[in-house]
Amino acid sequence: MITASKPGRLVIPRGSAAVRTLLARLVAALAVLAGSVSGAEIPAAVQFRKDIEPILKEYCYDCHADGEKKGDVAFDEFKADAALLHPDLWFNVLKNTRAGLMPPLKKPRPSAEDQQKLERWIKYAAFGIDPKNPDPGRVTVRRLNRVEYRNTIRDLMGIDFNAEVEFPPDDTGYGFDNIGDVLTVSPMLLEKYLTAARAIVSEAVPTVGKVAPERVVAGGRFRAGDAVPTRNGGRGNRTESLLPLSYYEAASVATVVRAEQAGSYRVTLELAVKGNFEFDPGRCRVVFRLDGRELLRREFGWHDNKTFTFEFDEKWEQGDRRMSVELEPLTPADQKINSLEMRIVQVIVRGPMEKEHWTQPKNYDRFFTRQASDDPVERRAYARELLGSFATKAFRRPVEARTSDRLATLAESVYSQPGKTFEAGVAHAMVAVLGSPRFLFRLEEPAGAFPSSTTASVDEYSLASRLSYFLWSTMPDEELIGLAGRGELRRNLAAQVKRMLADGRSEKMIQNFSGQWLQTRDVEGISINARVILARDSGQERQMRQQQEEFRALLAQRTNGLAFTNQTALGFTNGLALTNSAGLTNALARRQGFGNRRFNQPRVELDRDLRDAMRRETEMYFAGIVHDDRPVTELIESDYTFLNEKLAKLYGITNVVGPEMRRVTLPADSPRGGVLTHGSSLVVTSNPDRTSPVKRGLFILENFLGTPPPPPPPDIPSLEASEKDFKDHEPTLREALQLHRDKPLCASCHARMDPIGLAFENFNAMSMWREKERNQTIDTAGKLVTGETFNSVRELKHILAHDHRVDFYRCLTEKLLTYALGRGTEYYDVETVDQIVQRLERENGRFSALLMGVIESAPFQGMRMQATPAASNDPTEKSGDTKRAALNPTKP
Amino acid sequence: MNTNPMLNRNLAAERHASLTRRHFLRGLGACMALPAFESLSPFKSSAAPAAAAARVAPTRMAFLYVPNGTIPSAWWPEGEGGKDFALSRTLQPLEKVRHELQVISGLEDISAEAGVDGAGDHARAGGTFLTGVRIKKTAGSDIYAGVSIDQVVARQIGHLTRFPSLELTCDAVRKAGNCDSGYSCAYEYNLAWRSPTQPMSPEPNPRLVFERLFGIGSPGERVENLKRRQKEQQSILDFVMEDAGAMERKLNGRDRQKLDQYLTSVREIEQRIEKAERMPVINPATDAPAGIPPSYEEHIALMFEMLTLAFQTDSTRVATMLLAGEGSNRTFTEIGLSEGHHNLTHHRNQQEMIDKVKEIDLWYVKQLAKFLEKMDKTKDVDGRSLLHNSMIVYGSGNADGNRHSHNNLPILLAGGGGGAFKPGRFIKAKPAPLTNLFLSMADRMGAKGIERHGDSTGRLQAIG
Repeated sequence: MITASKPGRLVIPRGSAAVRTLLARLVAALAVLAGSVSGAEIPAAVQFRKDIEPILKEYCYDCHADGEKKGDVAFDEFKADAALLHPDLWFNVLKNTRAGLMPPLKKPRPSAEDQQKLERWIKYAAFGIDPKNPDPGRVTVRRLNRVEYRNTIRDLMGIDFNAEVEFPPDDTGYGFDNIGDVLTVSPMLLEKYLTAARAIVSEAVPTVGKVAPERVVAGGRFRAGDAVPTRNGGRGNRTESLLPLSYYEAASVATVVRAEQAGSYRVTLELAVKGNFEFDPGRCRVVFRLDGRELLRREFGWHDNKTFTFEFDEKWEQGDRRMSVELEPLTPADQKINSLEMRIVQVIVRGPMEKEHWTQPKNYDRFFTRQASDDPVERRAYARELLGSFATKAFRRPVEARTSDRLATLAESVYSQPGKTFEAGVAHAMVAVLGSPRFLFRLEEPAGAFPSSTTASVDEYSLASRLSYFLWSTMPDEELIGLAGRGELRRNLAAQVKRMLADGRSEKMIQNFSGQWLQTRDVEGISINARVILARDSGQERQMRQQQEEFRALLAQRTNGLAFTNQTALGFTNGLALTNSAGLTNALARRQGFGNRRFNQPRVELDRDLRDAMRRETEMYFAGIVHDDRPVTELIESDYTFLNEKLAKLYGITNVVGPEMRRVTLPADSPRGGVLTHGSSLVVTSNPDRTSPVKRGLFILENFLGTPPPPPPPDIPSLEASEKDFKDHEPTLREALQLHRDKPLCASCHARMDPIGLAFENFNAMSMWREKERNQTIDTAGKLVTGETFNSVRELKHILAHDHRVDFYRCLTEKLLTYALGRGTEYYDVETVDQIVQRLERENGRFSALLMGVIESAPFQGMRMQATPAASNDPTEKSGDTKRAALNPTKP
Repeated sequence: MNTNPMLNRNLAAERHASLTRRHFLRGLGACMALPAFESLSPFKSSAAPAAAAARVAPTRMAFLYVPNGTIPSAWWPEGEGGKDFALSRTLQPLEKVRHELQVISGLEDISAEAGVDGAGDHARAGGTFLTGVRIKKTAGSDIYAGVSIDQVVARQIGHLTRFPSLELTCDAVRKAGNCDSGYSCAYEYNLAWRSPTQPMSPEPNPRLVFERLFGIGSPGERVENLKRRQKEQQSILDFVMEDAGAMERKLNGRDRQKLDQYLTSVREIEQRIEKAERMPVINPATDAPAGIPPSYEEHIALMFEMLTLAFQTDSTRVATMLLAGEGSNRTFTEIGLSEGHHNLTHHRNQQEMIDKVKEIDLWYVKQLAKFLEKMDKTKDVDGRSLLHNSMIVYGSGNADGNRHSHNNLPILLAGGGGGAFKPGRFIKAKPAPLTNLFLSMADRMGAKGIERHGDSTGRLQAIG
């Protein structure tokens, strides 16, 4: 049959897997058609010549044919049909025509009908998508990332394991950290997994059946004076808590704990010194008493953060025991530099230590259903039962009998040793479960035992995991697994999604998706130099620089004058306190004053609280869209946001009092509203010392319009370097950027990014409103490459939310799909994305339309069946995706 | 089962740590005094007692790192070098071991200079010290340094001992994320790098070091326990291996690649266990130390004991030890200093602060002196001292902490290198890369065919 189809025309471009896949499909299609079509042209190519070529001729050939090859694209140079049908090319044609980027603004554009014809041909002929049965694609088996590991351990084991500290950070792909392809395993990571498994199990799983009872008295239970809380009246609301205790104020606090039985007890007192990072000379004496008996008397000095633990063995009668802590300052309060405090963390009371009083340890019920019997056969059966059900939870699907047997054998190998408990054996087997690839990876299986087609639905256990890791970043709960077990999850999908969104765990989706999509996560760590930013806004950079230079010169002068050798001379950077030359001292004083007063500007620092508020603003805003099922265009444009006093002040909004974040309706003419003007977005798209209209423009092209420009060429000068072309004054960013746009090489991309970014110039790099930059009034007017004009950021937002609504729907859909699937979107996903976009259009852009659209989509519900090993080991398969990634760069 | 300090603070153990340490040291001292300890030597079986004096002892090397540089004026001896030199103020404590000491000036670590990377001299000083290459400025997962000299040597001679190398630290608390000016903390907290992307995390807990070397439990049970622990570990590896194997059969393409990464990792850990089984365990007749002692001085002393034991029992011949991570801001309340070390080193020529840093420098050298004296008193299999058969580098990748300079680094080389060196000298070397010294040491370790290391330009002949 291939011979019948003119093999000479089927030249396959080397290394192009996508084409190979396509070719395989075409050959298969031909096999069907061969009987009826003589000459055996590829139908898609036939249709191309008949319907599509005329459109291209009319609208595209000026630049992309007859020897013209702009952007390295020519529509009349295909050597063969296979090259003609290359998906990468048509994916770009589809994106650029849809976004209105092609044909360019000044050229005639195809009619809506022609555009549709083109789109349909690309999707259904060139890509070969069957709209009724789209290719679900394949997700590479996903390892749990750090966040998922931590959450899963919390739900499975009941303890918080700080994976963010213990494990190396996960790599990201497509801007997200849950992408199967880039989540790797190294020997070091496996060793860490095994170490973590041992540590987690030894912390969480009791290895004995009974222990001495233990009670933890929280430090907050210690109250001032005699009015100590009773042991169960516990709240102590009659007296004010004095904790933590300052080193500089005498204090006496106490609480009562009841010994239910007489016996020996061990009392563990935990104190923590909470100092600033910077030293403080304070010292204090702490006395700990039990029923008035002094058990501890000790002096403490400064530590930035350190915990002290003291143990006391006691013989107690039955009844109430009074524990008191007194603090006596040893340093006069006037010597205080920084805050220095003593905190009573907790007191642990363990006892009675006599065995007859022992009880089941904490968490025992979580892992064991009863005390183990002494009979070896029963013990083994019990171990098998416990471990089978534990592994089912951990592996997120039922385990076969063989796994339960192997785990029971593992447990037995330990508990049958002398001196080892039954529980220790079970715990040992649990370590193996947590080290297993079936726990660490999310293995997915198709529904049905012998699926025959090329695609299949994933089974309901896989679906349960897909849902829970998507919406909760953790393992499925019992209800999801239960429904999957009964085969009722698909039937109850909508209700389950609703339940899952209402659950507190859905906060994770909001944090992890919006935190990465909008880069909100980065706001906490980004470096911002408030002093330089404010100087630029007020036009006082020059003075600042002059003073710095003057200072350096004086310092150098002095250093040379005294003929210090290189060995012993001071470094400039650290030479602040070099003294007694009058000039230098003055310079220093000015510099000092400069640093503190910041040119008489109000002191603003992007401190931790403020950054935290910014992150919360965006998270709460996104959460509101999700939970109230608002139109997603509200992400761009709205009349409300979430603020606390500090953030409101930064934004210049009054009447918001107190540290708690709350919803605030904005004034009618406010430029805020929508995540684009949130502090988080504005700060993460700035440089440390100034705004970056290019970054801001790019941010919106990438994350809201889905049309990122290609990466910049190498060796472009920085804006700062081009500033010297302005002799008479320091240029505004608009002026400096204009230089870029004047160069033809830069113009095509900067014309797309800059006008968008410049519309936000009224917000400085800390997101504060400003009217001027470098003493010049800011001009925010501009024109999009697609033709729309605007005067202000409000108008721009309106254009984005209305004129470019569909682009935004499509972009957001692709982002959420990427996050939900753990893979980048491919050309064969176009139909899936289009269907979700149509659904958004039908349902007024409501978030539920997007979310259910993603969850009900073919790629979320299904999987591509494994090709033959030979085919799927084909390394070119990977290169297809790499190519695709290169065509859609995420960062210039 | 092993309890992990990060989750399961063993309060009682920590409380008794100091007591147990004394007990431990006493025990160790007692068994050191007995010539019988030599019977533990792995070499005994291989040579007749009469030939003892002629036995060749292996050469060992260790790198000890102190952060933030030292005050140069108090560090460097006066004079033009050679045998006749007076120990400087900071080096005074080393008087008893000066016959095994070489003070070397002129060495530099140019990879730690700012260059195009700007701030971050502490991260660079730490990350380049043993690698001699520029480290990638990143706070993310794409850390990139070079292979460190200890690992270069361990790769060649590591198969001769149960542990190819030993990585220790006295800095137990680690920060997450960013450390110094946009550099990953990995550069400050790891001296040893197995590959440019794989630092060898050092162990801070002396108990875990001891148990890893010799097994858990009292001296009598230890060998048995070590075997059992390895068996337990092995049983877990067997289980996960079978799981992975079963999974792999169902997978294809990229899924299979992921599983392959997993399986390769399991095999690597297995090989380590297998080797441990093959080589005999020399078991000191002493109890394991208990956890990390509350006092820094005791912590350092214990880790030095672990190092001595590891060398003495020929468990390894290559070791690195961080006294504290580069840029450490530890306070030294033990000598009445409540300011942080790092803060103090930026003394801006204030005499009071300089004096305080000198005290810290001196304090560290005192700890070193105790270790070297012990090594000097400990007899090796050839009848010489352990120190005679070792090469111990002590120093910092920062020279003057105030200026963040990386030339004329404070470097000591203690030990006779098995007779190769003529110690007891102050060597005023011409400016040369620190890595030249390391190459010369690698030669003494019997490593072959290493032409260059990092920024090296040759061998440091002067130590000869």
